[in-house]
Amino acid sequence: MSLVRAAFVIAAKDLRIEARTREITLVTTFFAVLVVVLSSLSFYLDRNLAVRIAPGVLWVSVAFAGLLAVLRSWGREREHDAMRGLLLSPIPRGAIFFGKAIGNLLFLTVVELVLVPLVAVFFHLELDHLGTLALLLALGTFGFVAAGTLFGALGVRSNARDLSLSVVIFPLITPALLGGVVATRELFAGAPWVEIAGWVQILAAFDLVFFGAGWLLFDALLSD
Amino acid sequence: MAVAFAEVRVKKLVKLYGRTRALAGVSLTLPAGAVTVVEGPNGSGKSTLLHCLALLAKPTSGSIAFGTLDGRAHARQVRRHLGVLTHASMLYPDLTGRENLRFYAELHGVPTSRADELCARFEVGRFIDRAVRTYSRGQLQRVALARALVARPSLLLLDEPSTGLDTLGVQRLVEVVRAERDRGAVVVLVTHDDELSRQVADRRVLLRRGRLVFDGEGSVVAEGAAS
Repeated sequence: MSLVRAAFVIAAKDLRIEARTREITLVTTFFAVLVVVLSSLSFYLDRNLAVRIAPGVLWVSVAFAGLLAVLRSWGREREHDAMRGLLLSPIPRGAIFFGKAIGNLLFLTVVELVLVPLVAVFFHLELDHLGTLALLLALGTFGFVAAGTLFGALGVRSNARDLSLSVVIFPLITPALLGGVVATRELFAGAPWVEIAGWVQILAAFDLVFFGAGWLLFDALLSD
Repeated sequence: MAVAFAEVRVKKLVKLYGRTRALAGVSLTLPAGAVTVVEGPNGSGKSTLLHCLALLAKPTSGSIAFGTLDGRAHARQVRRHLGVLTHASMLYPDLTGRENLRFYAELHGVPTSRADELCARFEVGRFIDRAVRTYSRGQLQRVALARALVARPSLLLLDEPSTGLDTLGVQRLVEVVRAERDRGAVVVLVTHDDELSRQVADRRVLLRRGRLVFDGEGSVVAEGAAS
């Protein structure tokens, strides 16, 4: 079976489970909404300050919601040792990485579809450049999901899985988070595309590195 | 479907976990069309041997040849012909048993109708369309065994397969093991269940502290193991 086909079979399995339980999307969305609401209550002083705070709130919500999604997604592979069933299958190991990443990406996209309008309302944003914001979020989410999926797999075999993933992943995604926050801040401040393009390139490079690393290193990471 | 391996040849297999020597130079040939029962006390290396045969653990040294295929060099090709049942069911609790079987059939590149075929063969009844989370231990074990057979394996590895099964379930397991052997598969069974072992063993090997200390016919091993 080809890498692409196997990845979609694994992603379809994750979506089927999620459609039945709604566990990941409900919990992560609820958590992200809570972060936005509490942040708006805590930090809101006036409209100008709100616009400057909003990018940080948006990306922190995405990052923490993403961490929850990745942990739970890999947690499902731990129950009944289903991960071993995947490893015993005659598929490229990279397909497991891409399959899980597609699922995580879709779960996080659902969260963001709720999050962006909510942040706009609570922080008085005018979403004039929705296309650019979607691009920034997509690139940042791709990178986060790639890194989270890659290192989340390590937790399937670790007893300190939640802690180890949190400790490992946040330093790794710092470049993507910084790029996302600064680019979004510039966007909300009305900066022209040329000033944002550099950050877009950084985010795209980060995505390429982590998707490439996931594809190439996944087998080695899962070997005993 | 014809079996892919005429035999599986294990040569001087050593597996270290840190300083612990789980396998200390095990050599044996597992022929097709025979059930080999692996016995030994806890910690003797039975499960490690099974993990190495399943390509889940990399041997520290030594080799495993699956027919003409080297286990390390042709891992994906070998996995296509593996069926493995371990202590864990490897089933997704939120999917039904049938959905799990279809999922694994897809991953093994066999038609999903194979799942329905196995459901009929195992006479699983209506529970197969309930979420796995609701299964009893015995039901779980039956579906896990069906999962191991999804790919019509040439090498079937069974680790304590009678766990949780009632008398009828064990009898069905015996029939399945014999049927797989008669189909020409290499069957390796790790069990402490003497009755099951007596019913299916063509050959029995005994491991102790990672070494092969006995290798003989199924019917004569009791004396050999004891000595």
